[in-house]
Amino acid sequence: MSRTVPQWLAPNSLEEALTLRAQYGDEATVVAGGTFIGIVMNQKIMQPQTLLSLRNVSELAFIEAGQDEGSPLRIGAMTTHRAVERSSLIRQHWPVLASTFALVASPRVRNQATVGGVLADADYASDPPTLLQALNATVLARSEKGEREIPVEQLITGYYETSLRPDELLVEVRIPRNRERAVYRKFRSRSSEDRPCVAVAAARVDGKLRVVVGAVAEKPQYFPDICALADGETTGNAQMLAAEIGRRYAEAIDPLSDSRGSAEYRKRIIAVEVRRALEEMLS
Amino acid sequence: MSNPRVTGAIRYAQDVEFDGMLYASILRSPYPHARVLKVDASAVPKSVVVLTLDDIRELGSYGCQIKDQTVLAIERARFVGDPVAAVAAPTKREADEALDLIDVEYEPLPGVFDAVEAVAEGAPLVHEHHAISDNDAAYFGIRPQEGTNICHRFRIRHGNIDEGFEQADVVVEETYRTPSAQHVPMEPHASVARWVDDRLEVWTGTQTPFNLRMDLAGIFSIPESQIRVISPPMGGAFGAKTFVRTEAIAACLARKANRPVKIVLSRYEEWLTLNRHPATIQVKLGAQADGTLVAKRVVCWVDTGAYADCGPGVAQKMGYAAVGPYRIPHVWVDSHCIYTNLPPNGAYRGYGAMQAVWASERTMDLLAAKLGMDPLEIRLKNVLVDGDQFCTGEVMHDVHFIECLHDIAEKIGWAENKQGKGLCVLMKGMQTPSRASIVVEANEDGSYTVYCATAEMGQGAWLSIRKMAAELLGVEVEKVHYPEPDTDIIPYDTRTTSSRSTYMMGRALVEAVRDLKRKGEIGYGECVNTGGLDPDTGQGVASTHWHQGAAAAEVSVDEETGKFQVLKLHAAIYAGHVVNRPGAELQNEGSMIMGLGTTLFEQITFEEGQPTNANLSDYNIPAAGDLPESFTSELLEREGADVHGLGETALPPIPPAIGNALYSLGIHLTDLPLSAEAVLQAIDAREQAKGGRS
Repeated sequence: MSRTVPQWLAPNSLEEALTLRAQYGDEATVVAGGTFIGIVMNQKIMQPQTLLSLRNVSELAFIEAGQDEGSPLRIGAMTTHRAVERSSLIRQHWPVLASTFALVASPRVRNQATVGGVLADADYASDPPTLLQALNATVLARSEKGEREIPVEQLITGYYETSLRPDELLVEVRIPRNRERAVYRKFRSRSSEDRPCVAVAAARVDGKLRVVVGAVAEKPQYFPDICALADGETTGNAQMLAAEIGRRYAEAIDPLSDSRGSAEYRKRIIAVEVRRALEEMLS
Repeated sequence: MSNPRVTGAIRYAQDVEFDGMLYASILRSPYPHARVLKVDASAVPKSVVVLTLDDIRELGSYGCQIKDQTVLAIERARFVGDPVAAVAAPTKREADEALDLIDVEYEPLPGVFDAVEAVAEGAPLVHEHHAISDNDAAYFGIRPQEGTNICHRFRIRHGNIDEGFEQADVVVEETYRTPSAQHVPMEPHASVARWVDDRLEVWTGTQTPFNLRMDLAGIFSIPESQIRVISPPMGGAFGAKTFVRTEAIAACLARKANRPVKIVLSRYEEWLTLNRHPATIQVKLGAQADGTLVAKRVVCWVDTGAYADCGPGVAQKMGYAAVGPYRIPHVWVDSHCIYTNLPPNGAYRGYGAMQAVWASERTMDLLAAKLGMDPLEIRLKNVLVDGDQFCTGEVMHDVHFIECLHDIAEKIGWAENKQGKGLCVLMKGMQTPSRASIVVEANEDGSYTVYCATAEMGQGAWLSIRKMAAELLGVEVEKVHYPEPDTDIIPYDTRTTSSRSTYMMGRALVEAVRDLKRKGEIGYGECVNTGGLDPDTGQGVASTHWHQGAAAAEVSVDEETGKFQVLKLHAAIYAGHVVNRPGAELQNEGSMIMGLGTTLFEQITFEEGQPTNANLSDYNIPAAGDLPESFTSELLEREGADVHGLGETALPPIPPAIGNALYSLGIHLTDLPLSAEAVLQAIDAREQAKGGRS
């Protein structure tokens, strides 16, 4: 493969970006903040011929929430992690979102990495997708032909794989307003700036418990039937319930091994961290 | 005053530019061990200069202690990353593209990736012969074992080991492993070479300009005086920037191109250039019932990778460092420097001391536990004091281990409670023998210039030497200039390693200023330390100046996950007399942070010789958030005392202090790093032993 510098496409508007996306399809690799593409290109894991940069598409950098009760939080795909972390709107109404984005890598990375990028990369060891899936978030995918809303659950399909079509761009993330407590626990086995060894997000959405475990398999793991154990439970045996759900999650997941921990170790940590997340949520 | 390192005004080797300069890239073996059958560069465009075997076959081989390396791998590539060809082109991009056009045919050979396996019967030989180098870095008796992968065997025979163990009431025995690690200097290796009328000029970030010049002279068969090495300030080195790294390839390309050539390594290539020695160390320690040490037997297997580099020296220092700062009448040490098919391992801050101290100081706590003694008491009872004899036969003077131990015990609150707390004490030798020389010149404007080989790698050596000079000359430090070391101008110095510069060069400086005052315009001074050890008995003088320190840690463990927090970390270093306090404190902190990385997660992983985490995403180094809440160090001084080197001393005691803190909770670990997973396994083992959880 040639080592020549790839062609750099840098549209100035979403419209222009969608035209180029339709034109190039998979021939062009979409770049947002570049923290992921930069690493894989440096390591020569990926050597794209053409890069489609959304850097100048400023209309995709926004954080908005409608006034009425039912309206979701909308975050533009080019919003940086740092902007989410520091947004007073998010800190006030979705504090778990702000604190989770603040756990990603270091400020240098967070100033660069974007909300759209971290979802579209579908890297198994990222923090935000796990939480976003637990919060029942959706993404808006747009193409020249139109748009569709995809739940995060259906967006990430495998290692670095999404259900985005070659002419689509992920333009926005929508997070339902959630008045109940949500928890994100990042278990790091190494440095404080490392990716999670096991990530656990737990939330109650529309009265239903959603526990999602990330960084342990090709995509975030969610088991509605296990979560259903919590239906109608009173807080009386909350501790036992938390431990039971943790145990069941550990049984249900077939974890991977990597430099952050073996599969066997991860299984044990899943049981502990799911239990702790639920205890924290109920406390 | 703005710091040029902060503003970007500083000029590193990679910033050196010349008209018509070419940029080099290196083609490296993808196999850990392979015959190189063919290198075909015919498809490379004429605008690119290519260096292949035919260009270097006639050149001399090199190596600072064993002459085992050629500029490119001739016939056999011995590690993943071994250079087999190199190119130079007008741009780095063209150079990289040209690499893809070179066709290399390999025949893979069986490799060996572990030092213990490499000495087993029938292991593949990495080198057939071990020629001892004529470089002055081969300063001690090197004992290669022909027909094996052992390129140096160092022994200590002190007292009678069998009798010693007979006198012991209690004996403990354990085997420890420490992995390879990367230095990760912010600035990667970089050099620029050019030939001017048959003279070779090299700008390179190097800690060893004179050793480098010697090896380059041997490669090109020219006198040393025909080579000029200039060492600009470095962005960190930690031992990685020693001896020949990129310079020989740059010089060969420059000669062939007849133009200056620059090499700057990528982060990935750093992992293929020089790492820390993995080591397996077996320790057997015996004591009488009252805690008096009587016998110690140590065997070290030191993995030097595919080329010896300074591995023999590292193995030797590891050998005597593993004895520890104790009075032990019967000592028996065998330390082997062993070839494997991994990238070369060399100097790394501490130079074998970390591996040795980990094994030695963990064993002290095993012994204390078996005797039912306080780990502080057993150390205080046995540490060397002035007038004691070390296992090398040398009589110790100016030793301060007891002070260091008292300081750390107080700071960690040892008297109140010992749960979750651990201690470590260490001694570390300084390069012996060695020589430092310096010239001080008075300028017409009332300022002075020092000509000195001591390299600036961010440790603040230039400022320390300027400060000492200013004090001796009675002028402001701004009046003392320190041009970057240039072997055409500076007098000889052994090298900027082993925390020797402030001490050795400081002493030479005193002489030089005295000489200047006598002569008026220019003064010369030198400091020589003599000694050395018999490699077969370990008797002699290991070091004329001992680096001494201790550290204490306090941890809190999450028993369900094995993840632990270091709550407190404190190091006490004997400094004698501090020259530049902020610089010295930063040296301590930097050493402690590197020690923390080594303890917690630093580890290069290989799969059949292929590095699997050669990037800063998969390989973690400590971040600010990893530092303990309480992170302190002490520089112990004494009225009228000598300056003591302190650039590395606070690194080696960190892993054992933390390991011993875990041990106080019944968590026994022998291998670094202390990953959460390993801790959890050790907790399981403890519970199993108790008959508790399975």
